[in-house]
Amino acid sequence: MEKTEQIIRETAKELFNSGRVEILIGYEKGTLPFRTRPVFIRNAAEADRLVWNSWCSNNLAVYLPGLFEQKKHKKNEAPPLPPKVGIVAKSCDVRSVINLVREHQIPRQNVVIVGVPCSGMLDAAKIKALLDNEVVTEVAEDGNTVSITGRSRSSGTKVKRDDVVFNACLECCSPMPEGVDLLVQGTARNASQNKYDRVKEFESMAPGERWNYFLSEISRCIRCNACRQVCPNCYCKECFADQTNPRWVDAGDDISDIMLYHIGRIFHQAGRCVECDACTRACPMGIDIRTFTQKLACDVKDLYNFVPGFSPEEPLPLCTYKPDDKQDFITEP
Amino acid sequence: MEQGILAKTDMKKFIELLIKDHRKVFAPVSRKGRVLFTEVSSADEVKLDYRNTDLSPKGLFLPQCEAICTFTGDAFQEVPLTKDKQVVFGMRPCDAAALSHLDRVFTEGSQKDPCWLARRENTVIISIACSDPLDSCFCTSVDGSPVAKKGSDIMVYTIDDTLLFEAFTEKGKALLTLASSFLKKPKESALEARQKYESAAVKKVPALNLADIKEKLRGCFDLTLWSSIAERCLGCGVCTYLCPTCHCFDITDQTDGERGRRIRSWDSCQYSLFTLHASGHNPRPSKKERMRQRILHKFLYAQDNFKETFCVGCGRCIRSCPVNLDIKETIAVLAAGTGKGA
Amino acid sequence: MDNPYLPYPVTLADFIIENDARDLKTFKLVFEKKEDENRFSYLPGQFAELSLFGKGESPIGIASSPTEKGYLLFTVKKTGLVTGELHNAEVGKKMGVRGPLGKPFPFEKMKGKDIVIVGGGFAFTTLRSAITYILHPDNRAGFGKITVVYGARTPGELLYKKDLGEWGHDRRMDLHVTVDKATDGWKGREGLVPNVLRDVHPSSSNAIALVCGPPIMIRFTMPVLLELGFTGENIFLSLEMRMKCGIGKCGRCNIGHRFVCTDGPVFTYQELQSLPSEY
Repeated sequence: MEKTEQIIRETAKELFNSGRVEILIGYEKGTLPFRTRPVFIRNAAEADRLVWNSWCSNNLAVYLPGLFEQKKHKKNEAPPLPPKVGIVAKSCDVRSVINLVREHQIPRQNVVIVGVPCSGMLDAAKIKALLDNEVVTEVAEDGNTVSITGRSRSSGTKVKRDDVVFNACLECCSPMPEGVDLLVQGTARNASQNKYDRVKEFESMAPGERWNYFLSEISRCIRCNACRQVCPNCYCKECFADQTNPRWVDAGDDISDIMLYHIGRIFHQAGRCVECDACTRACPMGIDIRTFTQKLACDVKDLYNFVPGFSPEEPLPLCTYKPDDKQDFITEP
Repeated sequence: MEQGILAKTDMKKFIELLIKDHRKVFAPVSRKGRVLFTEVSSADEVKLDYRNTDLSPKGLFLPQCEAICTFTGDAFQEVPLTKDKQVVFGMRPCDAAALSHLDRVFTEGSQKDPCWLARRENTVIISIACSDPLDSCFCTSVDGSPVAKKGSDIMVYTIDDTLLFEAFTEKGKALLTLASSFLKKPKESALEARQKYESAAVKKVPALNLADIKEKLRGCFDLTLWSSIAERCLGCGVCTYLCPTCHCFDITDQTDGERGRRIRSWDSCQYSLFTLHASGHNPRPSKKERMRQRILHKFLYAQDNFKETFCVGCGRCIRSCPVNLDIKETIAVLAAGTGKGA
Repeated sequence: MDNPYLPYPVTLADFIIENDARDLKTFKLVFEKKEDENRFSYLPGQFAELSLFGKGESPIGIASSPTEKGYLLFTVKKTGLVTGELHNAEVGKKMGVRGPLGKPFPFEKMKGKDIVIVGGGFAFTTLRSAITYILHPDNRAGFGKITVVYGARTPGELLYKKDLGEWGHDRRMDLHVTVDKATDGWKGREGLVPNVLRDVHPSSSNAIALVCGPPIMIRFTMPVLLELGFTGENIFLSLEMRMKCGIGKCGRCNIGHRFVCTDGPVFTYQELQSLPSEY
C-alpha cells in the first residue's frame, strides 16, 4: 500500500510538471483516526500530501461537475477555458466519472483519471463493533489479516480483511479500474461472483415485509440531504425535492414526504447509480440506502443488460427508446 | 434534596421512578448503531455506556418538525403548547450548555418563542458528567467542561461503583426529593472523590488555544482563505443538523387542498437555497460564503449578540462530516491567517 | 404568552393593479377583529408577514400609514408561490397578517428636520407610508421641508399614481417624479433617480435622507447624498432579505451579527458600512 501511495505521488508530480493537470483531487490524511479526506492540490510541491490506504472511502467524482461549471465572464470576452483536472479514483469512483462523461456533465478530454486498484475499504463501524464499542487505538494490516487493538490492553483481535471491509466492497464486481488514463500499480481484490445475493434475498421477502423494511429504515431520516449532496449523480441545479411550485415534497418529517424524497431519489438513480456507497456512508442515521439503490441497479441489469459507468458512449437505457423494450409491466402487471 | 448517592447497579430503579412520575422520559437509546435520545417506557431501553450521542438532544426542544398552527380552508387553529412533564436523562454537559445558548435566542429580544419555552419549562435536565471525552471533543476550549453545570438541573457523577447525584435548581431538587427514599446522603469521601473526578475529567479534554478568537475572526471576512476552507464542503448540512447549538429553521405550509398545517422544520445555512431571494439574488451564492457564515455566526456574531460562543465543543460536526471538515482546524487556520490580506 | 408565529385573521377588502405589466398590486386588508387592529400599532418602515394558508408567508413592507385607519395596504409583486396565490385572490379572501415587524424609520430623529426621500421601483412602498404619515395634519408641523425623488423604469411602472397626483399639488412638499425611459404621452421628467437627485440638490443641512430602492439605485445614490453633505448617520436605508420567522429566531436574514427582521430593515448607511457586505 505504501508503494501505491508513492506511485500516486510521483504520478501527480509528473502530471503537474508536464502541464497535464492544473488541479488534482486525491486523498490526504484526515484529522481523526482511521479517516482520510479529499484534498485539492494545485502544484507538484503539494503532491506529498497525497495518501493511499484502506480509509480512502470518499467518492471524489462528486467534485467534478462543480469544477466544470460554466463560469461567468464579461460579454465581449471569450468564456474561460475549462480546467484540466486530475482525479485519484478507485474503480467505483472511475465508474462515476465515466457516468458523468456519459451524461455530458464533464468533458472527458479535460479529466485525467488516475486509477488505483482497490482491495476494499475498511469499515470503521464494523471494526468498532468487533471490540464491542471499546475505543479502537490501532488497526494494522498484514496481507489479508487485520489486527485491531483497543484502548484496554486486554481487548484486541485479529480478523480476516473481508470481515471488516464495507459490504459494498465485498460486492464489488470490478475492483480493477477500467477506462482510466493512468493505472497505478497496486493490488485489487477479487471481483465478487455473487454481487446481487443480498438483493435476491431482499426480493425473496414478501412485499409487505419488504415495505416494512423500507419504512423501518427511512423513517429514521432527518431530511439532511447528505445522501444527495455526496452523490456524484445528484448534480441537478434544482432538485425535485426543493421545488416549491409544484411542491412535490414538503419539508419536515411526515413519513409520506420522507418516502417520496427517497423513492424519487433512488429511482432517479436507476441505470445511473454505480453503487459507490457514498450515500450510505454519509448518512448520519445509518440508513441502509444501498439495499434500495442496489435493487434498482440489479433490475436495470436484468431488464436491459446494462451496468452504468463502463462506457462513456453507450446509450443509457432509461433515456433511450427501443421498439423491443419489455412491456410486460403494462400487459402483465 | 440536593445531593444523593446510589449504587451504580441501582440506576435502573432511578430511571423507573422517572418513568412512573413523568409524562415523558427521554434517554439515550441505540437504534441501528446510532445512539440518540428517544422516549423510553422502561429502563431496559436506556443505553448508558456511550461517550456522546450521535444526534444531539436539541430535537427534544426544537423538533425536526413541529406544527405552529393548523388550518381548514382559510381558517386557522392554534396548536396547543405542551404541558407534559418531561425528563431528559443522560445528557452530556456540553449539550446541556447548548440548551442555555439556545435559550438566549428563543427567549430574548422583542418576542419570545412560546413553543421552545413550553418545553423548556416543563422539562428537567439530568446530565451525566463525562469521564471519557472523544478525540474530537474540545468543550474546555469554548467555556465548557465535562463537568460543567450550565443548563443542567441535576448532574450525575459516576465514581467507581457509585453514582453521585447533585441538583442545582429548584426543579432538580424537587426531583431528587422524589427519589429520597432510595438515594442516600453522600459521605464527605464521596464529595472529595467527586473533586478528583472533576479535575481528572477536565484534563482529558484536548485543549485548543482559542484566546482572542473573536477579535482574530473580526478581520477575517474578506480573506480568500475561505475558498480553500470551503472547497471540500459538499453542502450536505449534516454538521448543522447534528449540532446542539444550530437553530436555523424553515416555515412552510403543508396542505391536501382542504386542510393543512404550518410547520417549522430544521433548515441549514449550508444549503444553497437558504438565503435565495425571490428575485434570484443570493447574498451567499457559493459554499465559501456559507461556510464563512457558519463559522462567524458561532464564534463571532453570537459573541457580539450574546457574549457567548455558539459552539460547545461536542465534536459531532467533525465526526459526522463525510469529508472530514474539522471546525477546530478551521478556527486555527483562520486565527493564524488574519492580516495576510485578501 | 402571545404566540408570535400566529397571524391575525384579515380579509382582502380590495385591490388595485398598479402597473402596466399587471404584476404589482396593492392589496387592502381589513382586520376581522377590532382588538387585533388596535394591537397592530405600527410606524412607517415596518413590515408584516402576509399569510396565505396552504401556501405560506411573505414579508412585505407596509405601504399604508398608521394615519389611514381601518385597513392596511401592501404592494406586492408577483414572484412566487405565496405572492402568486395572492395575485389570484378575489375580494373577500381570508388571509393572515403577522406583525408589525422590524424597526421603523427613525421618526424621533426626524423630528424638526428636513426630510429627503429617495425611492426607486417597487421599493417605494414603505416610503409611501412615510410620506403619507408625515403629510398628515397631525404630524406635518413636526417636520421641516419634504423633498421626494421617486423614479421607476417606465411611466407604466410608477406606483400610487393617485397619491402622486395629489402630492404633486401639495405645496407642503417638493415632489420630483422621474422615469428611466419615457414612453409616448409622458410629460414628466426622464432621468435616473441619482441624477435627478443631483439636479434637485436638496440641502443636507438639518436634514435626514430616507432611501429605498434596488441595489443598483442605492449604489449610485449614496455618492450623490454624500456629495450633498449628508453623513452616514443621517442616511437611512431599508434592506431586503429572505425571511421566514421575522422575529430573529430562524437565523436566516442576518448580515453579520444584525438581523434584518429585528435590527432592521431600516439601517443607517454608517451601520451598513460597518457590517460585512453580504446582502
